[in-house]
Amino acid sequence: MTAPALATRRYGLGAGLAGAALNYFKYWMLAAAVLCFAVPLLIAQYAGIELSAWYYAVNAGKWFTAFVGGGFVFTLLPQMIAAGLTRRELAAAMGVFGVLWSLALGAVGLAGLFAERAYYGAFGWSQGIDATSGIAPIGSAADTAAFAAYLPLLFLAYFAAGTVIGVASYRWEHAGWLLLVPVLPVVFGLDVALYSTEPVGPGWIGFLGRFIDEWGRGPLAAAIVLATAVLAVAARRLLIDVPLRSKQA
Amino acid sequence: MSLSVTLRDVSLRYGAEAALTGIDLDLEAGKIYGLLGRNGAGKTSLLSLVAAFRKPSTGRILVGGEPVWENASVVSRVALIREGGDFDDTETVKATIESGSIRPSFDTEYAYKLADRFELPLKKRVSALSRGKRSVLAAVCGLAARADLTMFDEVHLGMDAPTRDAFYKELLAEYLERPHTVVLSTHLIDEVANYLEEVVIVDRGRILQHADIEAFQGMGATLTGPAAAVDALGLDALAEQRLGGTKSITVASALDADTRERAAAAGIEIGPVGLQDLFIHLTDPNRNGA
Repeated sequence: MTAPALATRRYGLGAGLAGAALNYFKYWMLAAAVLCFAVPLLIAQYAGIELSAWYYAVNAGKWFTAFVGGGFVFTLLPQMIAAGLTRRELAAAMGVFGVLWSLALGAVGLAGLFAERAYYGAFGWSQGIDATSGIAPIGSAADTAAFAAYLPLLFLAYFAAGTVIGVASYRWEHAGWLLLVPVLPVVFGLDVALYSTEPVGPGWIGFLGRFIDEWGRGPLAAAIVLATAVLAVAARRLLIDVPLRSKQA
Repeated sequence: MSLSVTLRDVSLRYGAEAALTGIDLDLEAGKIYGLLGRNGAGKTSLLSLVAAFRKPSTGRILVGGEPVWENASVVSRVALIREGGDFDDTETVKATIESGSIRPSFDTEYAYKLADRFELPLKKRVSALSRGKRSVLAAVCGLAARADLTMFDEVHLGMDAPTRDAFYKELLAEYLERPHTVVLSTHLIDEVANYLEEVVIVDRGRILQHADIEAFQGMGATLTGPAAAVDALGLDALAEQRLGGTKSITVASALDADTRERAAAAGIEIGPVGLQDLFIHLTDPNRNGA
């Protein structure tokens, strides 16, 4: 590998990780899609359909994304450093990975919402979300697009949150996971506030969202960008001088 | 191109505990070094610093004349292989080998050739490998890294004797084909002694000795002959063996001319000291000045 290739391998690694992760989890996503389209059909035999099943899948995907960010960095850190990568290169690779993964899942989320919209429309069902003020239909095609437009950003926020916790857990073997305490309520709260709803997960974690859900989507999106940037910087800072653990005999 | 290693006043602390103190060390490029030390002496800590697995508490570490810490052009040419390897246990052997290609010099074809030779099951998950096979996988990845500075930290401990022998031979063949700097950290001293050009002994976080192998062998001697004659020399033996009327002793000091003459006259054969015996003597906690 020449010097220029060495200088850019971090980006190739990040893209490779995103591709490998999407390939690895493609059947999980396919299974989620099948469930989201099959379950409403079953429920419709007994009750009316008012809620978007896909929205629940997308929300589960956010938690899953946090696990992917945290799990990958926790696992890759010793492996990649031992393979001659610097911590800075790994941090950059994780950044590329997070952005590509979030864009891809955002696109899957958007496509699923539109497919579901057509599917629900064919059966005359209502595609809504369980908002704090009751069940709220997502709305027109433009509303659906606007609704889904924030998904890549939210996936990225969850990815950054998971990565911070993953690096911290490697760095401080017994205490790193405690970063869950400040990180999760912030990210979950912003998610709660953005959609004025409770994403899948323990509702009490998103209590911070109750104080800011009147801000409107623009300021909230800006707050999510800021939170994501802070989390990315924190993850990089924790990673940049982390020692590799001693091997257990 | 081989890489040299320079450490200047390097120390490493784990909290309040000093793992290494005041380390000054120069390793020339293109040689095979043995890194010896008792358990907890600081061998792994020292190698971890050279490979930038850890940052030193104080001091300077240069590899190939450049600082090693977070230096992509240097660390990409340095391989530290720890016992058991730094692998993702959920991956297959094949995926683990292929992940090595992040290193510019990694030779995947050679890795598969070695995997075949050492009978590594490519489809098996790393977590399902025996300790021995895991050691082999680590060694394969280390050899195939084709790094300019390759350090094996007790990698061969899990291997059985024939596999270790094959590993040493492959290591030597690779070294002859592509001269580079090799550091072997091991407790199996006598097994590797013939491959080493220089030896570094670490003891209680400090460099105790660093010399070429001949200098070490000249630090003592082995005397073998009739037991009574050997005893009559009155030497302080580090180790001794007896078989019938024949006795062999190891001494940790160079023999003076008079002793050599008396030994020769008594039919005693004088040979070089075993590195392991010397190591045991030098790192004896009860030894003055150690």
